[in-house]
Parts: sequence; C-alpha cells; structure tokens
Amino acid sequence: MITLILLLFLGGAIVTWLGGKLSPIVGDMLFLVTIIVPAGMFFTGVTVGEVTHIHALGLTLTWGLSPLSYLFSMIVVGLGILLAIYAVPFMKGKQKTGAFYFNFTLSVMAMLGILVSKDWVSFFIFWEIMTWSSYLMVILNGKDVQRVGIKYFIFSAIGAYAMLMAMVVMNSQLGSFLMADTFNNFQHLTVGNQILIPILLLTAFGVKSAMMPLHVWAPDAYSNAPMAYTGLFSGALSKMGIYGMVLVMVTMINQLPEGTLIRDIIAWIGGFTAAAATLWAITQDDGKKLLAWSSVGQMGYIIVGVAIGTPLAMLAALFLVVVHAMFKGSLFMVVGAIEKQTGTTDFREINGLIRKMPWTFISALISVIALAGIPPLAGFVSKWMLYEALIQNNNYILVILLFFASTAGFLYCYKFLHGYFLGQEEPEWAHVKEAPVTMVVPMLLLAIGTFVLGTFPQLLFKPIDSALQYVGYDATGGHLWGQSILFSEWGDVVTLQPILYAVLAVFVFFALFLWFKGTKGTRYVSTKDISSSGELPKEWENLTFKVNFMQPFERVIEPFLKRQIDKYYTAFGNGLEALFEFTRRIYTGNGQTYAIYAILFLALLLLFRVNLFG
Amino acid sequence: MEYILIKTLEAIATFILAFIVGMTYGGVVRKITGRVHNRLGPPWYQNFIDAFKLFSKTRGIHHGAMHFLGAAFLMVTSVVSLMIIPVLAPGGHAWYNSWFTNMNFNGDLIFLLYIMTFGPLGMAMGAGQTGNPNSSIGVTRGLSQMVGFEIPWVMALVALMISYKTTSVIDFMNIQRETGTWLMFANPFAFIAAVLAMLGMFRYSPFDIVGAPTELASGPVSENGGKFLFTMMSSGSVFTFAKLVLYVDLFMGGANNLVMLVVKTFLLYMIPVLYGIVSPRYRTEQAVRWFWGWPTFIGLLAILYAVMF
Repeated sequence: MITLILLLFLGGAIVTWLGGKLSPIVGDMLFLVTIIVPAGMFFTGVTVGEVTHIHALGLTLTWGLSPLSYLFSMIVVGLGILLAIYAVPFMKGKQKTGAFYFNFTLSVMAMLGILVSKDWVSFFIFWEIMTWSSYLMVILNGKDVQRVGIKYFIFSAIGAYAMLMAMVVMNSQLGSFLMADTFNNFQHLTVGNQILIPILLLTAFGVKSAMMPLHVWAPDAYSNAPMAYTGLFSGALSKMGIYGMVLVMVTMINQLPEGTLIRDIIAWIGGFTAAAATLWAITQDDGKKLLAWSSVGQMGYIIVGVAIGTPLAMLAALFLVVVHAMFKGSLFMVVGAIEKQTGTTDFREINGLIRKMPWTFISALISVIALAGIPPLAGFVSKWMLYEALIQNNNYILVILLFFASTAGFLYCYKFLHGYFLGQEEPEWAHVKEAPVTMVVPMLLLAIGTFVLGTFPQLLFKPIDSALQYVGYDATGGHLWGQSILFSEWGDVVTLQPILYAVLAVFVFFALFLWFKGTKGTRYVSTKDISSSGELPKEWENLTFKVNFMQPFERVIEPFLKRQIDKYYTAFGNGLEALFEFTRRIYTGNGQTYAIYAILFLALLLLFRVNLFG
Repeated sequence: MEYILIKTLEAIATFILAFIVGMTYGGVVRKITGRVHNRLGPPWYQNFIDAFKLFSKTRGIHHGAMHFLGAAFLMVTSVVSLMIIPVLAPGGHAWYNSWFTNMNFNGDLIFLLYIMTFGPLGMAMGAGQTGNPNSSIGVTRGLSQMVGFEIPWVMALVALMISYKTTSVIDFMNIQRETGTWLMFANPFAFIAAVLAMLGMFRYSPFDIVGAPTELASGPVSENGGKFLFTMMSSGSVFTFAKLVLYVDLFMGGANNLVMLVVKTFLLYMIPVLYGIVSPRYRTEQAVRWFWGWPTFIGLLAILYAVMF
C-alpha cells in the first residue's frame, strides 16, 4: 500500500507535468487528483505497523509506518491536501505552473518516503529528493537565485554530506543499513563513533529544522518560495528535521553517558534560536520575511522540547509540531492571498485590508492568537506543557529565555496584523477584493483546527502518546489525557473546557452589549475621520503609522542586531575566495609557468643534492 | 442548571466587588495625586460619575467590527483573570467566602500570565482599526514595555515555583497559611523584582508611555467614547483589582475577609502610585532598558536564592 501511494505520487507528478503542457485546466485537475487520491488512500488504507521490503540494485529497502511517523505523515498529507486546493487558484495566471505542481507533488512524496523509510539508504534518497524539489521551488520565481538559492543549496549539501558520512560509518562498523539495527547495536560502536554519529546526524537534521547557527538559509528560502509552497516548507518540510532529531535523541543520545550534556547544549541552542529569531522577526517589514523568521523561532521551541526529552517536554514539542504546521500554514496562506490580491507583501505599502478581506483577516487573527500562545487556542497548550517541563527539569534560565521570546513574539504578531489589515484605509487599495473561496476555506479550516485543539487537545494527545510509547517512553500519562485537562507531575492543572466557555460567555456578552447598546446613535465613520488634536485630516493625507513601526524596541535590541551569524559566514566565504584567488595565481593554466615550476622543482632537488636516478 | 446559575451569580458578585473597589481606587488615586500636586483634586467618587456619564451617552462613532471586538477582548482578560485569581484565601471563615471561589482551580500562574496578555493584544487590534496613528504608536510602546517588565516578573514567579514546586496560586496561599510566613519574607528578592515589574504593569509614571497624555492624546484609548470608553474604563478597574489581588495572594498570604483584602491591596497599590506622582516619564527604550537592568538582576538573585535555599 505504501509503495503504491508513493508510486502514485511519483507517476502523478510526471503526468501532471505533461498534462499541464496540454492545457492549464487539465494540469490543475490532474494536480488535485494526484494529491488527493493517494492522500485519501493514505487516510483509509494504510495501517500503522505494516512493513514492505523492496529488493533493488542488490539492496533491500524496508518501508513501514510506525506510530511516530504516522503522526508526522498526518501533517504532511493533511497540509498537502489543503495547500494543493489553495495552490490551484494561487498559481492561476502565473508562470511555471507545471514546475510548481511537479515539485509540490515530489515534495509530498519525498516527505512521506522519509517517514516510511526504515533503512538509511531510502531515507537518504528521499531526503535528497525533498531537498532538490524544495531547492527548485526556492528558485522558482527566478529572483535572487545567486544569493538565496546557493545559500540554501550549500547548507543542504553540508547536511546531506554529514548524513551520508554517518550512514557510511554506521554501515562499515555495524554492517547494516537498517535503522533498527543501527539503533540497537549502537552500544557496539567505539566511543568516538558513538559521539561522532549523533553529532553528524544532528547537523543534518539541524540544517533542515533551521537550528542556529545553521539557519541562515531559512528566512530567505521561505520568503522566496511561492507562498502556496512555503506553508508546506515551513509546516511540514522543516519538521522532517525534527522527526530525525527525535529518532536520534531517543535512540542514540539516550545510550550515551554524555547524553545529558548534549541534550543541554541542544536545548540551549534551541532556546537561543527561539529568542534571536523572534527579535529578527520584529525588525522585518515584509510579511513573508516576518513569518519566515517566526518559523525559525517556533522551531527553536520545538527543538528545546525534543532536547529536554522528558515525557511532558516531548508531548509539548510534538504537539507544537502539529499546531505549528496548522497556524503557520494558515498564515502563509494569508500572505499568499494578500500577495495575490494586492501584488505586494510589504507592510509599508498595504493598509487597512480588514474591511476588504474579512475572512482572510479572521483566519489571520485566529492563527496569530494561536501563534502567540494565548489561551484558549492550541498554541497555549504546548507552551504551558513546555514551561512546566522546563521548570520541573531545573532549566530555570532557559525558561526565562523562552518566556522572553514568547512575549517578544507579541510584537511581531501585532506588527503582522496591523501591517496588513489595520491602519487607515487608503483609496489606493479600494479595489481590493476578498480572495477566492478555494483560497479562503483552507486557511479558515486550519485556523479553526487550532481552536478545536486548544480546547480538546486530547484529539492530538492520543496519537502523540502512542508515538511516544513506540519510541520508548512508558509513562506519559496517556490514560489521563482524555478530559481536556492539562496537568504536570507537580499536580498543576489547567482545565480547558470551563475556561473556553467562560471566555466565550464573557466575550459574547460584552460584544453584544457594545453592539446593542445605543445602536441607533452609533454611526460608522471612516478612518479618515479621526481625532487629531482639533485638525481634520484631508482625504489625501496618509496618517498611517507603518514605517519604523517597532523603532523604540529596535533601539533597545540594537546591540544584539549588530551581531549576525550571516556576516561571519560571508567573511568566511570571502576568506575562502581569497585563498582560491591565491591558488589560481599558482595554477595559471599557462604551460610556460608550469615548465618553470618543473625546472624550479628540479633545481630545488639538485640544491639539496638528492640523487634522482639511484 | 441550578449550579451554573449560582456560579454565574457568584461571578457577577465578584465582578461588582472588583468594579466598585477598582473604581474607588481610581478616584482615590486622583485625589491623592491632586493633593501631592497641591491641588484640591476631584472627589473620590469622581470615577463613578465619569463611568455613569459615559454609560448614559446615546450617540457615538465606530470604525468597524474590530473596534467593537477590541473592547470585548479587553473585558475577557479582566473577567477571566478575576475568575481564576482567588479573591479570598481558602482558609477564611467569613460567611461570604464561598461566593468568590469562581474558577480558582481551573488555571495556574502560567495560564494567568498568558490570559493577561490576551486583552491588551485584542485591544490593540481595536485600536489599530480606528486608523488613528496615536493609537498604534501607543500600542507598540505598550507591547515593548510589556516585553520589558515581563522578564523580572516571570523571574520572580519562577523563583517561587522552584521553591515550592507548584504553579498554582491556591497552593501558594496554602503554603503561606501553613508556614505562617508571607512569601515576601520567604524570598524577598522575588518580591522586590515583582514589585519593580509592577511599576510597569500599572503604567503610572515614569512608565505611562502608553497613554502619554501630552504626546499621544491618551494613545490606544483615543477614538473611543461613550459605551466603548465605559467598557474600557470598567475593564481597567477590574483588571487593576485582579492584579493587586494576585500580588496579595502570592506575596502577602491572601486575605481572609474583605476588609483585610482592601487594606492589603491598597497598601500595595500605593507603591506604583506614589512612585509615579513624583516621577517624570521615560522614553520607551529607556523604560525597557530599565526593566532589563536592576529588576532583572534582582530577579536572577531571586532564582539563585530559590535554588540555594
């Protein structure tokens, strides 16, 4: 069944590509069928635990679905369907639709392939397909190929080589490519290899999950890819790194005596990623860039949870993995819809879309509340569990760092919403209409999903619980997760349902109160008719506050912003270039120069009286 | 059904208490400020008159749906935090004690930290839709300041959590009752850090950069009048009361009856008020840097103290 689904994706990608050549509509239809049919088969036909063996090229590839990979593949397939529905109107009238559909389908296939791989060979093959298809997406619009594309490519290559090296070492020492074998026989490796292999693998996975300092490709790549793909890029593709990290953490690091040290280091890297990326997100003036940095930051939270590795922390991290895919998918769709309808994504250009694109605004609002981690939405559930886990695991300073990142996150959350939807309504944007239904419905569905999971997290706790039990956590309290109550070992409790009802009751009561009290006397006035110290702003006067939006805060964090890892990489690159330049002076390609080298060499040998001919 | 009805009535009673106390405090603060400034000042019940005037206005303007929802979001924060924070200590024996239980056992400190930011963010949306640049400027200032004071405040709370291995407000109150020591003496650094954070939380000078009457024409509140301003005003009063009660619960052992509650909250409230009366206003970046200076250092000391002892 798994083989069939993967083959369907692969065949569908090619057929869609060819069909798109005939007519765009055929391409659209084929694309939807290609995504939805195998996805539907996945939801109905695949059972957790089934295993298939494929013999090819003298190797045995083993594919199967574990509870852990089932959890991740739900994200891939679910997000894939919604984004495919969204992508068709998004790509309408754009160049290179065929290439987009092809790479989209290949990405989904490769991610599923990674998740079902039970041996390192197929894991690596699918990993490379994923990297290549996403690379082609990043450079799809042809902008900044040099800067963005090469950066992404170099970092992906570093990750891939690291993984390849780890695979080769494992195979030469243990004689097997099977994941289960390498994990079980990990103790038989020498101590050096026991440390080397996890670090190599973590480098590979850290690149994909944009862990600092391996993150520099992410903001540019996320914002350069088409928005219909970035939702998948940030929501699902970067989660493959987390998937690998979970595997390495629970199988290899746990067996190491130095395991706690490595865990602490990675948790700190994750915390630093969360904080620093949040600060960078605040300074962005482009919605795509802002969300890209925010994705890097959210991955930081997840990495912290995975690295801490207590049952509660793992639960929080995996919960955030799913929820992040939902709200970030929705938010990238929002930006895509705005780009489609207005032609720009710069906060400083767009104003006051709230009355023109109300449904887009509602999805953005709900998703942002989930992103900020405010109850009663789903982001809060994972944040609460993460903080509890950190405090109970004695990571006191790290929890402060994360609190800081989360509070600073409100700044960019507000900047995002204010940038597009609020502020003064300008006649320049009067023509803007709401995005097509097929674009609005997917983002709205994802936003509502965060709402549901925020109150009934047990819907997600059950699959996460079985995934955790599969990787070896015995006591996650799974039997107690049935009542939409959050609790920790200390006995701290948050009951979500009464809170949701209270919030809704108060909110509805006061909204109705404000609406119905003196409705007749309350009239609507435009945003041009505002109180500004006795003056009446003219129609052409634009009083919107957008440029240097967070300037006071940026002044505070200025010393930090001066230090960019990107600059160090550039300096390193320049240094290498200087070295190559020097090498080029030696190897000029000129025969006479080489002749001189040969003579000089001989002269040198004679000088030292070396007997050349015996 | 009957249960829900009684619960609702109790919640309304708590709300009315918070409303009256909060409004009175507001009026008294205006009076005290006036006296310190060598003015006569308005009467202590001036806030009630203002609220009644705003409530009875029949005409007004709005700028769109979010303008309505912003004020409603603000109310959600005030009311829900009031419901979660225990108004009276669980050990008290006054006949009305059970009225103020509400939803005390449904949330903890981390929940409170987050629900307390829900309102300002929703309010910020409402302020944004009015299109008034002063509102947006006020909001960005307010959010920046929140990032500032949240650090020492969270550090103080984490210090308490480390010491007593709980995040529940009720548990902290029980611990103080059992040991007989208020947490402000058990971990003085945490109390100092929390009080310094409180200066920013209550937005009196030198941290009144959000409203900033002379620069921003009262910031996010501008463009609001009548019922909107009434809702915001009552929400502000209730929220002030809720925050004060939280401080009293955490550091001063809570209160067994309403009289003690009023005394303790009033004394605590005078710290930001009196400090504010004699202070000029900071710039935003100065305010944030101030919070990341000594208050954060004292917060670190609080955590160290909690780890060591």
